[in-house]
Amino acid sequence: MPYAGIIIKICRAYSNSQEDFEDYYQEVCLQIWRSREKFKKQSEWSTWIYRLSLNVCLTLLKSEKRKQNYFSTESLPNELIEDCKSFSDESLNELYKAIKQLSEIDRAVILLYLDDKSYAEMAEIIGTNPNNIGVRIKRIKQRLKKILDGKIN
Amino acid sequence: MEKSIESIWKEGFLKNDALITPKLNNLYEQKSIDIVEKFKRMYKVNIIALMAFALLMLVIALPSGMPYMALPMFFLFCGIVTIALKFKKKLENLDKSQNSYEYLKSFDNWTKEMIQTNTSLSRFMYPYVFLVMIAGFWFGSFGGDVPGNTMINEYLVNNPETLTVFGVPLFGLIGLVFILAVISYFGAAIGNFDLNIVYGRILDKMDGLLLDMEDLRK
Repeated sequence: MPYAGIIIKICRAYSNSQEDFEDYYQEVCLQIWRSREKFKKQSEWSTWIYRLSLNVCLTLLKSEKRKQNYFSTESLPNELIEDCKSFSDESLNELYKAIKQLSEIDRAVILLYLDDKSYAEMAEIIGTNPNNIGVRIKRIKQRLKKILDGKIN
Repeated sequence: MEKSIESIWKEGFLKNDALITPKLNNLYEQKSIDIVEKFKRMYKVNIIALMAFALLMLVIALPSGMPYMALPMFFLFCGIVTIALKFKKKLENLDKSQNSYEYLKSFDNWTKEMIQTNTSLSRFMYPYVFLVMIAGFWFGSFGGDVPGNTMINEYLVNNPETLTVFGVPLFGLIGLVFILAVISYFGAAIGNFDLNIVYGRILDKMDGLLLDMEDLRK
């Protein structure tokens, strides 16, 4: 599937187990299939995929939280993050583990930043002002560095 | 030297296993099972509610002096519950070893049969309910005066020239037959409306899922 990489990266950041990840991935693929005719070519195809994947993952995450009676909109507690061995690269696993401790929106911001999206594209996908993005990224990177401090060489 | 998060990201995703896509073979399996299971739960609750309503008819209407309404209503609901239980048994016997599409398709056939039966029954059920309610008020309690007869006698004393059939004014009988015919005519629509309120959303979901699956199978 083209752009599968985008979907995988996003689903990994919002799911907490391999089973969840596969469910999220399937749901995103299903929504892309269902919504494919609604794509109006007003943006890049990848931008559209990003937006749709993020929306699906956030919706699934919310319904999961409702089911678990877990109402916080902030990051997941560390003990709930089971799936930190998704990749063979240990540093990448640690980075993902740290990303999952961020709030839902910060997770989206950092994923887009790491995938080299411009501030304008990021703002378009998330639906925010491009001027705020830079400051936010700086803050998120500081937080990630703090979490990762000493864990990665 | 510590790696930056940018280099962790880039180097990590250069490795071959980082972007392995999950298989989508069973994309619809869980969804199909979820929908059918949810429907089963709703159907079970509905049957229990019908049983409770049948008993309620006996408990409330009998002591309040309307046995001619309570007993036929009780038997009607018992009949509906019996039919629903037969359908429930058929639903439980759907072959789960089929693939998701066939499983959902057989569930779809089951719902069509259930809706068809409901539509046919509704044509008789709603007029029956109306008739039973009239009878309940007409005959009142066992023994003693019959309220309907008292009312007719009073009317006939004041209007002695009224045409009657078996002691009942003809216009009343014609009116009753007309109302029953109208209720019977709209019975199927009322029945489907009723069904739609309870199961509409889940059946729409199932239709959407089946359409998707058929689209993908093309």
